[in-house]
Amino acid sequence: MDADRDYLAAVGDAFLWLSENTWQIHTATGATPALAAVETGKIQLAILDVQPAGSDVVELINQLLQQQPKLKVVVMAGTATEEKRATSLAAGAGLFLEKPMSPEGMKAIFQSLCELAGWAVPLTNPAARRGVTITDLIHIECQARNSSVLEIFREHSLGRIYIEEGQIIHAICGELSGEVAFQKLLGIAGGTFELRDFELPPERTLNRTWEYLLGEATRQRELSEFRARASGMVSGSAAVSTEPAGQASELLICSGTGEMLYQWQCADAAARLGLLQKIAQRAETLIPELQLGKLDRLELQLADGRAILQPRADRLVFARVADRAVNA
Amino acid sequence: MKTDFKTWFASLPAVPGVIACGVRQANGKWGGFGDEKKFPAEKIEKVLKQFAELHEPLAADFYPRWTTWAFEYGQLRFVPRPDKWLLMLLVSPETEAAQNLDQLSEKFLALSAK
Repeated sequence: MDADRDYLAAVGDAFLWLSENTWQIHTATGATPALAAVETGKIQLAILDVQPAGSDVVELINQLLQQQPKLKVVVMAGTATEEKRATSLAAGAGLFLEKPMSPEGMKAIFQSLCELAGWAVPLTNPAARRGVTITDLIHIECQARNSSVLEIFREHSLGRIYIEEGQIIHAICGELSGEVAFQKLLGIAGGTFELRDFELPPERTLNRTWEYLLGEATRQRELSEFRARASGMVSGSAAVSTEPAGQASELLICSGTGEMLYQWQCADAAARLGLLQKIAQRAETLIPELQLGKLDRLELQLADGRAILQPRADRLVFARVADRAVNA
Repeated sequence: MKTDFKTWFASLPAVPGVIACGVRQANGKWGGFGDEKKFPAEKIEKVLKQFAELHEPLAADFYPRWTTWAFEYGQLRFVPRPDKWLLMLLVSPETEAAQNLDQLSEKFLALSAK
């Protein structure tokens, strides 16, 4: 489903060709015809644009899954952001992918769709999986209750994650095993991964749900990215400062509903949270008029550093960063 | 308003990446430039007023030299001056204007309005 008829026609043709005419493709330019198509009970896989005409993507996913709980839903975006990805996956989408820009990208997406839907397609080329993250793949394997071994590489093998009938049962990364190994493997930047046939692990070191483990990995990654960004070591896509690296002097992370998840040297967490909520509330009403997309963050240049406020739907973050003394 | 401020402010729309700019004077008067379709004068004034209200609680707690709202497709910078003037700059990301936001802000702070 996409409001752009030309895009719909092109993608439809491509999927038809890639599936060797085995797929039956129904297209819709808005939420209403998409819901009507799913209501027939003949749709197994729904591919939605992240900004569906006439609806909100989260609302549409909910409506589709209410109509057909076994439906596999994929959300596609021109530009994927972590927030869009998180809200779509949380709403029940099985995959969140960037729209393909090349024939190779289209093939990779086609293969990912087949995997999600459980339609057999040989996946021999790791490059074909570009655009699918390791988190996506674990999500797919667990949701489909598959059994497999995921091997993670960076130049050489770094570790393995064992999935049995949709449960993550073991992870190993060098000397580490269990949850520590799992989180370390998911935190590796710039690695590649291969899905292998299942084999019994030498031991079982994990018994938490896959939802918990992936959620914890996301939380740890966000925390680590935020700390790094707050320290001026990396710049996000909407980074606004080119100030020299500094030292984080205060950090508060709350859930979207205001539950405190993490705080460090935050003298008055309640006041910081109140400010974040006020900014979030006002931004919600003021910002749509600007047509500048979502608010990434608010940055305050202070006499001795910076304060950064991120009032996102799923996270409220406050960080204060002191400028590093030149001769420290 | 001094001529050098007027000249500088009038030159802002020519900086590549500036979408709109506005200024609130100490006497409450507003002025600005922007894309006529996306940012007509009345929209600039509205945005300036609304964000200036949001700026108040931040200013009371933190005394910022400036504040920057970073969006997916643009950055909105507010620079308050002790003489109660407030500058607003809306710029596209990854442009000359975005790269020089701090210098433009410093220049506004250095320019005397009296």
